[in-house]
Amino acid sequence: MPPILFIFILFNFVDLFKLAKYPFMAEAKEWVKEQKVNIEEILFDELYERARQRGIERVKQALEKGIIYDTPLINDVDCAMEIFSYPIARMLVVAVESDYLLRRYALAEAKRAYENMKNEEEDFISYLAKELGVEVNGEKIHFADYLKYAPTWDMKWKLVNRELKNGYVILSKNEVARLIQEAIRKKIYSELSYIFAPPEVKKVFRNEIIAIKSRIAFKDKSVKMKEVKADYFPPCIKSLVSAAKSGINVPHVGRFTMVTFLNAIGMSIDEILKIFSSSPDFNEEKTRYQIEHITGRISSTVYAPPKCDTIRTWGLCYPDEYCRGIKHPLFYYRRRRK
Amino acid sequence: MNFLRRKFYSYYLQPRIEFPDRIERREYAFILFNEDTMHRHISFSSKEAILTYFKANVPAHAYYSSAYYRIPSASTMKEKQWMGADLIFDLDADHLPNIENLTYEETLQEVKKELLKLISFLTEDFGFGKQDIRIYFSGGRGYHCHISNKSVLELGSQERREIVDYITARGLEIKEIVGERSIYKDRYIDKRIEIYPDHGGWKGRIARGIINFFKQIKSMEREDAIKELMKIEGIGEKTAEALYDALTDERMRRIEKGMIDQASEFRRIVKPLIKRLAVSLHSEADEPVTADIKRLIRLPGSLHGKTGLRVTKVDIDAIEDFDPLTHAVVFGDNMIKVNVEKPIKIKMMENVYELKKGVATLPEYLAVFLVARRMAVA
Ligand code: SF4
Repeated sequence: MPPILFIFILFNFVDLFKLAKYPFMAEAKEWVKEQKVNIEEILFDELYERARQRGIERVKQALEKGIIYDTPLINDVDCAMEIFSYPIARMLVVAVESDYLLRRYALAEAKRAYENMKNEEEDFISYLAKELGVEVNGEKIHFADYLKYAPTWDMKWKLVNRELKNGYVILSKNEVARLIQEAIRKKIYSELSYIFAPPEVKKVFRNEIIAIKSRIAFKDKSVKMKEVKADYFPPCIKSLVSAAKSGINVPHVGRFTMVTFLNAIGMSIDEILKIFSSSPDFNEEKTRYQIEHITGRISSTVYAPPKCDTIRTWGLCYPDEYCRGIKHPLFYYRRRRK
Repeated sequence: MNFLRRKFYSYYLQPRIEFPDRIERREYAFILFNEDTMHRHISFSSKEAILTYFKANVPAHAYYSSAYYRIPSASTMKEKQWMGADLIFDLDADHLPNIENLTYEETLQEVKKELLKLISFLTEDFGFGKQDIRIYFSGGRGYHCHISNKSVLELGSQERREIVDYITARGLEIKEIVGERSIYKDRYIDKRIEIYPDHGGWKGRIARGIINFFKQIKSMEREDAIKELMKIEGIGEKTAEALYDALTDERMRRIEKGMIDQASEFRRIVKPLIKRLAVSLHSEADEPVTADIKRLIRLPGSLHGKTGLRVTKVDIDAIEDFDPLTHAVVFGDNMIKVNVEKPIKIKMMENVYELKKGVATLPEYLAVFLVARRMAVA
């Protein structure tokens, strides 16, 4: 029996199963350390083959599906392998050296945690939140933390539509989990941005790295826009397009603004789709569905691009000198294209 | 201009400046007399250095950055290295409706109403203590509200914008703050609105606003009530009458419990009420200044070049009593001869002045005010 099975600490509510579900927790890191396994063992020892396979699977699922699926956790060995697979996956992600993968992976891990959190007790969620530096008090959260993590581009999440009392926003359990998802994503992303993979990692996973890189290249194909004069896009649209192209997660309202605008000036669905293809949570089917929906291809309504006022509310307006007197981004484009 | 500069100089020999915290991390900016350009990217290492600058340059306008930087004197944002910023709300008269027809005093009174609303949002909803909130009369036509509570210093502009949107009710979705219920009667469906006066946030605010509004209407004489109702955009005489007559004791009791039986009536009044309850912060066209994490703000204790009044701290518990034309005055009452350019009636230092066009001998404080406002020449 490997030594890993003998030592593990029971925290108040953090047992090995919890750590397997939330391997980014400080306790998981602590646990791994206490196993006193060195990096060579993890990378080469047969004992950890299962963890390595799962690590690869984590990264592949993140890349292809945008989320990491649970594996059955029946006994302590399952849990141990699952926990070890997390640092392995991280090393692999970093070894690929792609910011796109990094973002997508961080999001996928966070989404998995979110799905799991839905079934947790409130106490555990508060505990987890605290570890991430988010002060959750039952179902209340301080507005400053709320603003840091809430997807406020969604009308439902805008602070103004929330119950705010004495500095605290009142949320449901799932909503708390959603905020923590974002905190997790940020944490993982920023941790990964600062670490380097040991050279052995590149050796051990050489084949996987090559395969992943080519998948990324395929997904990340650069996009050329034709006929449409991108130079004359208003600054708000320009910044959205370039954000989307470089794989930065564009908020929902930003997508909405961009899609309705591009559709209105006559860009095809395929072309629009291409712009999104490097987004970290790109899901072709879903994105196509959304675009077709917004542009009226599968529904009866064609949504019009929002007015400048609205875009401004969403914090997406970066006016330049041509924006003076402009009330609608389409006017901007039409005026300048003449 | 020389007249004003001389007067400012006499004040800046011994000014009562209220220095911001972290003096050496702030950027300062000044506009000098007879110049249009702003001198920016200035930094000081001590209070004395600031006072020396005032004496040497006698600025017409003085500002400091709400942000603090690692290198405040650097000329680009990037080099400055932003570290955080106070949260600032700027309440100015310029955008309030019908403001052109009001006198200076009335204008400031209007802004005060907005200020009181703002404070209620900041304390009740955002949970700031009164000690966290500092209020300043801007020296011009408005008030500034500064918050330096640790929890807000590092908020980015997106997050600050959410705060602004909250207090101005921008993006407020009515369906998120009221409940709508369909009541099935024998032959038709009745829509009923539920409101929640005991809740926090806009949910509670709008509910209490609606209840108070109906209470007020109910307590009025029929004629006055109808007039009041008709002040609401979209409500004509007929609707107003119908609304008033339907407001029976029973109906009122139900409203107080949070039940509004006719959804359509509700829809008519809810939007205008939201507008009344929200703070009117700045014009839509302006870049939302509160969200700006690097803005410049008038330095408390300095003089405003267009009024000669001092940027003055206002006690949060005594806002009602604050009279800018008394409490923000720094000049004395030596008599000075000026040429008044148009007739004006004004109350300053508790005295009422009715001036005609032409030469007049006035106390220094009034002379400075009129010259600065270009209503008189020295
Ligand atoms: S003013 Fe309008 S067109 Fe210009 S950047 Fe802002 S939202 Fe876009």
